[in-house]
Amino acid sequence: MNAEKLIESYVTEVAQRLPRRQRNDVAFELHALLHEELAAKAEAAGRPADPEMATELLQGFGHPTHVAARYRPPVTIIDPADGQTFLRATVIGLVVIWSLGLLQAFLAIPTANLGWLTALGYWWGGTVIPSLWWPGVLVVSFGLAAWSRRRWPERAVWQPRTREHVQGGRTGLVFAVLGILLGLAILLEPRRLLDVVWQGRAAPAAYEALTYNELFRSQQGPWILALLLSNVPLLVTALVQGRWSPALRRLQVMSSLGLCGVLIWATLGGPIFDVEASDRVTKIALVATVVFTLGTLGHQWFRRVRPAPRSPRAR
Amino acid sequence: MGDPEAFAKLELELRRGVVVLATLSQLRAPRYGYELRQALAEKGMAIEEGTLYPLLRRLESQGLLGSEWRITEGPPRRYYALTAEGETLLRQLTAAWRSQNAALDSLLEEDGR
Repeated sequence: MNAEKLIESYVTEVAQRLPRRQRNDVAFELHALLHEELAAKAEAAGRPADPEMATELLQGFGHPTHVAARYRPPVTIIDPADGQTFLRATVIGLVVIWSLGLLQAFLAIPTANLGWLTALGYWWGGTVIPSLWWPGVLVVSFGLAAWSRRRWPERAVWQPRTREHVQGGRTGLVFAVLGILLGLAILLEPRRLLDVVWQGRAAPAAYEALTYNELFRSQQGPWILALLLSNVPLLVTALVQGRWSPALRRLQVMSSLGLCGVLIWATLGGPIFDVEASDRVTKIALVATVVFTLGTLGHQWFRRVRPAPRSPRAR
Repeated sequence: MGDPEAFAKLELELRRGVVVLATLSQLRAPRYGYELRQALAEKGMAIEEGTLYPLLRRLESQGLLGSEWRITEGPPRRYYALTAEGETLLRQLTAAWRSQNAALDSLLEEDGR
């Protein structure tokens, strides 16, 4: 390829990446400018322009993708300030999704009589590939947040906030209390949900599927109820005070850790429901709850700030 | 001895900050891309062609430069020159640059004593 063809091909590659309305005009100008650059280079070298010289010039000019990008204002989808948070949320989310999927696949090995490799294949096709929705959701969410900050900068101004700040405000706390009470009502007697939804006309198999195992009802069940219930006075206190005092925080952490312990006990300690399928689904949900709760607590612990000078490293 | 890679990176950042000002300063009268690059290089402000030519289009799309094709002498060339808005911005940037330059000079002289 001679020098002229090289320039033509380069200019075409750049122009193809530009908006249609400026494509031809930029291509015409860039072609002329590159010719002048090449002529100057040839003059400086004291020999006619050749393909090597043209290649050197074009490589110095930059990759067509980068050059085309320079012709347009930079587009930022995720704010650089959000980059670390985005990366962390992506990795943590994927690890959680993949781990839960792996657990589900391994739990299915004895029941569906699968081999290890088949289970891994199901995990790959059923969890790993579909899990790409998570980074997609994050890109859209972070992108919308960045756009909103640029669109309404006055709303993005920092506001003072204490460590006792109530996330979601009082409305959030009211919803949390209502959610716990509703959860307790369902937990006490899950079959009541069928009566509410189908007015008592649900199939007998559905009632059977939501029948607790007697051992669970007498052993772990009361503990779960008590620990869930213990959150209500904490939330009501925070609602009345309008803040999370350090003591309340500590009590909530202890209650959450206790609940996680009992949920693990319930998962490993025998059937929760008499019907195997509902028992398996419930246990997966319990494991997800434990992972989420411990993950949240671990995240809060990891991110805590206790200002102190860094101690010098021991030599 | 300082890290040459770190120096190159920081120097590039310094230059990036003044590329727009340098470009605008040389477009009080119309110039085409290659001519502008030569003018800047002759005055000690060499800007890579892959940076300068796209920059001209971006400044034009921001309304700071106007441009037209001229085919009267030699090959057709696109000439760029400051618009009224570009002139105002050039004045503001020049004032800001002089003030920062003076401050930095004073800081560096203090340090050098």
